[in-house]
Amino acid sequence: MIRFSLIAVFLLAPAMYAQDSWDTIPKPGDADPFRPGEKAGPMPRSRDGKPDLSGIWQERTLAAWNIVKHRGDYGFPGGPGIVEGDKIPYQDAALKKRDGLAKSLYNDPQSHCQLPGVPRITYSPYAFEIVQTPGKIHAIYEYAHAWRIFHLDRTAHLTGTDTFDGDSIAHWEGDTLVVDVKDLNDKTWLDMAGDFHSDQLHVTERYTPIDANTIWYEATLEDPKVYTKPWKMRFPLHRQAKNFELMEYECDASSASGNLSSGAQ
Amino acid sequence: MKTALVLAVTIGLGLAVMPLLAHHSFAAEFDGAKAVDLMGTVTKVDWVNPHSWIYIDVKSDDGTVANWGLETGPPNVLYRGGWRRDTVKPGDAIAVHGFVAKDGSHTLAARQITTPDGRKLFAGSPDNGPKQ
Repeated sequence: MIRFSLIAVFLLAPAMYAQDSWDTIPKPGDADPFRPGEKAGPMPRSRDGKPDLSGIWQERTLAAWNIVKHRGDYGFPGGPGIVEGDKIPYQDAALKKRDGLAKSLYNDPQSHCQLPGVPRITYSPYAFEIVQTPGKIHAIYEYAHAWRIFHLDRTAHLTGTDTFDGDSIAHWEGDTLVVDVKDLNDKTWLDMAGDFHSDQLHVTERYTPIDANTIWYEATLEDPKVYTKPWKMRFPLHRQAKNFELMEYECDASSASGNLSSGAQ
Repeated sequence: MKTALVLAVTIGLGLAVMPLLAHHSFAAEFDGAKAVDLMGTVTKVDWVNPHSWIYIDVKSDDGTVANWGLETGPPNVLYRGGWRRDTVKPGDAIAVHGFVAKDGSHTLAARQITTPDGRKLFAGSPDNGPKQ
C-alpha cells in the first residue's frame, strides 16, 4: 500500500516540477500555473498611474539549485537554467574558484542560514510579497525574514557600506520598475553550484508587468573582479494562488546541512 | 503494538527526483538506493527550518530499541501540505518510508509518514511552488 502511494507521488512529480526557463517568454493572458482557468487582465495601476505590483509572487525555475542548465540528482532537481546563453562569463581564475567552491554544498553560505543576497533571494525558491507605496516599494521574502526596500525617492546609493542584500534605488522606465543594487558584500552565492560574485557586484533588476498575474524579471550582473562582461538572467514571476499567505521561515543553522550526525538525539 | 524494522531496497524508484530543500545535500547525506520502512513510537517532534525532525523509538526483532531521527520538509511546506502541529505527537505509533543516512547513523530522509489514524502524508518538500 505504501509502495502504491509512493508510485503515485513519483508519477505526479513531472507535473509538480513544471519549470520556466530563459526561453519561456510569457504572453499576456497565458495560463497561470498557480491560478488555473483564470483569465488575467492587465496589471492594476496605482494612483500615480504606474503599475501596482503589490501581491505575492513566486518563481518556479529551480534555479535555486543551479542557475545554468543542469541534470537532476537525489534532492537536487534538474533545471533548464535562467542564464542568457546558458553561460556565465567568468574570468579564468574565477572559473577555477567556482569549480573549487562547487565541490561541497557546505561551502554555500546559505547552507549556514546566511541571507541569500541579490538576485538569489528572488529564486530562493520561496514566495515574496511586494507592497507598493508612493515613495518606497517593499519586498518581503518568506525565506529567512529577508526584506528589501526599493527606494523610489532616492537617486544616490549609500556609500561606505556593504550588506547581504545591498542598497536598492529604483525608478520607472515606462511600465518597467528598474532597481539598481549596489553595496553588496562578497558573502553570498548565486546558487548551490558554487556560482559567486565579489563585493564589486552591481545588479540591475527589471520588473516588467506582462499581465495581472505575471511579472517578467530580468537581472543584469556586472562584476569587474569576477566576470569578463555583464550578463543577464531572466524568468517569469507568477502571482501566487488566491488566499496564499507568507509564513515564518526561521532558519536554524544547528539543523542545517553538515549537522546530520547531531540529528538523532 | 508490534513494532518492526523492515528493510526494503527499492532501487527502481531511484529514477525520480524528489527535491528536499534549498541548501541541503541529499546525495551527500543519504543513500537514494536504500529505501527503508520503519515503525516506531514518536518521542519528539521539532518543527524547525530548514528541515523539521520527528524522532521515533524503533524496536528491532532482537528487542533492542534505537531512537531514529526522521528528517522531513520545512514547516511551511508541511503545513501547506496538510500537516498540523498535532498530526503526529509524542506517544503516537507511526510508520515511515524514507532513505537511510550514508554515515550509518539512525537517520532517515522521510518521504511518507503513516499517521496513527491511517493517513499517508508526504513528508518531504513537494516542489518550489507550494500551492494552497
